[in-house]
Amino acid sequence: MTVCSQIAPDLDGTGKNNVSDATQIAGDTITIDENRYGNENGAGGQYNSSSDGFQSIYFEFGDYGVSSGMENTIASNANVAHKASASKIKIEGNCDEFGTDEYNYALGLKRAKAVKDGIAAQGIDTSKMVIVSFGESNPVCSNPTDGCYSQNRRVDLRLAK
Amino acid sequence: MRYLLLLLLSINLFAVDATLKIETDVEHRSRIALVDGSVVPNDKFFKILLSDLKISGHFLADTTRHKGDITSKFIEPALKSKEYVLKYAVSQTTGTKLSIRLLKASDGTQVFKKNYSIPTTSKMPFLAHKAISDINNVLKYPDISWINRYVVFSRYTTPRQSEILLADYTFNYQKVIIRGGLNLFPKWADKKQKSFYYTSYRDLLPTLYKINIYSGAKKKIASSEGMMVCSDVSKNGSKLLLTMAPNGQADIYELNLATNAKTRVTKFNGIDVNGEYVDDESRMVFVSNRLGYANIFKKSIHSSAVSQVVYHGRNNNAVDAHGNKIVYSSRESKNAFGSNTFNLYLTSSRGSGTRPLTTTGTNQFPRFSTDGSVIMYIKHRGSGSSIGYVNLTSQQSLLFPLGGRKIQSIDW
Repeated sequence: MTVCSQIAPDLDGTGKNNVSDATQIAGDTITIDENRYGNENGAGGQYNSSSDGFQSIYFEFGDYGVSSGMENTIASNANVAHKASASKIKIEGNCDEFGTDEYNYALGLKRAKAVKDGIAAQGIDTSKMVIVSFGESNPVCSNPTDGCYSQNRRVDLRLAK
Repeated sequence: MRYLLLLLLSINLFAVDATLKIETDVEHRSRIALVDGSVVPNDKFFKILLSDLKISGHFLADTTRHKGDITSKFIEPALKSKEYVLKYAVSQTTGTKLSIRLLKASDGTQVFKKNYSIPTTSKMPFLAHKAISDINNVLKYPDISWINRYVVFSRYTTPRQSEILLADYTFNYQKVIIRGGLNLFPKWADKKQKSFYYTSYRDLLPTLYKINIYSGAKKKIASSEGMMVCSDVSKNGSKLLLTMAPNGQADIYELNLATNAKTRVTKFNGIDVNGEYVDDESRMVFVSNRLGYANIFKKSIHSSAVSQVVYHGRNNNAVDAHGNKIVYSSRESKNAFGSNTFNLYLTSSRGSGTRPLTTTGTNQFPRFSTDGSVIMYIKHRGSGSSIGYVNLTSQQSLLFPLGGRKIQSIDW
């Protein structure tokens, strides 16, 4: 770098440069509170597990395949879905806190898709199901333990309202 | 194995080069001292000026805060060995007012003089940034106007709740723009930073909105089952790279805002996310698990061929690009639970010239400045988090502490 060897320009002190030109940062920005409008879960968004008779499906670290231990839970959820055939089912993918950014949301999505496919294999119409990934945004447990993290690697199911 | 050894050797050599460059560059920076003429001294303002001078890479600032009359051309004898003396006075009685005079240290000759004012006190850091970028321009150093820009970021508050905030690059200024609900992945929509895109979870499906930060006007852009993220915006703002999953598969799409036409760019039956325009924007880099783990790949927007960009690390799960420069985060430890070491690496769109930018802690969310000269990132080390900056030209780095809430995504 040789730029520092340049001669600095001498400007007079007549006040030519005395301008308040920071207008691009002077404008006031807004604040929006989306809780004013309510949200589908209530203002606090407190529920964190499955509802409406469904049971959550749990996954191994970094994995998005349904384990054999969870197959009975998939069948149970398919029965609940069959009885609620008039309603749409929302399948929510969740992750623990060890991923980052977009990739973790995609991992949650793969988990939700795996559960959707498992329930569809039991004869439930796929058009009755909608999947959404919440990534690491919806933990049910925040203690720094393996048992706690495993509770967050899950798929929740509920009726879409 | 031979190629692995060659790569590791190359990385080590680059790391050594970086250290040597820091030492030699010190001699090329302008030595400058700050003289505070404020009626009420403001320690925070002084520290922000020092940060601006340091991260510019063009100044070697005296870290002692000297006091003196801003109107006088008198230079303390001890400061005459410097090249410049910056005299300033800041006041926050009504709004924020700042006066600066840049003097030659040798004889007190005035080089530059300017007054600034804004109607608020909270945006005081921006006046410091503007003053230093003006001085930098007067001295005809390479542009550092990126220090004047807003940073937009989202952070989690409680389960399924987040907020989106604006900050200056030091995070001394922070303001909530959207609170309540789950709103994620903010991304600036235009160069002038009047609007940004973000994903809202208010409706049944994740939905992308564009919001004007001054008027609050919102426009729905698109929604998708599964997930919806605006990963990148083309330079002229006319096209977006989105991660969507209309069929339950996370794939990258290009949205033409003029025609509202969506082009599906990836079709892999796995995870494809984080598309970033590269080179002349006819190509992109992205994160995919197509080899069984998260890694960085490149492909043309309009053809199917995919090429691997990074050949080390077992989990390279975040990337950003500027021109042909690429920065990515690479996991370098194997803890299934607990903290892992993530380091940032700089490479090119051809995968050449790879070098590490960080060596300790968990370093994630890398983002280039608008001119590609500086990289912003989040560092977690121990129980604390910081916002970090690496100036790629001068190798200068800076860290500013962050609060305890977890950052979800960030852009500037």
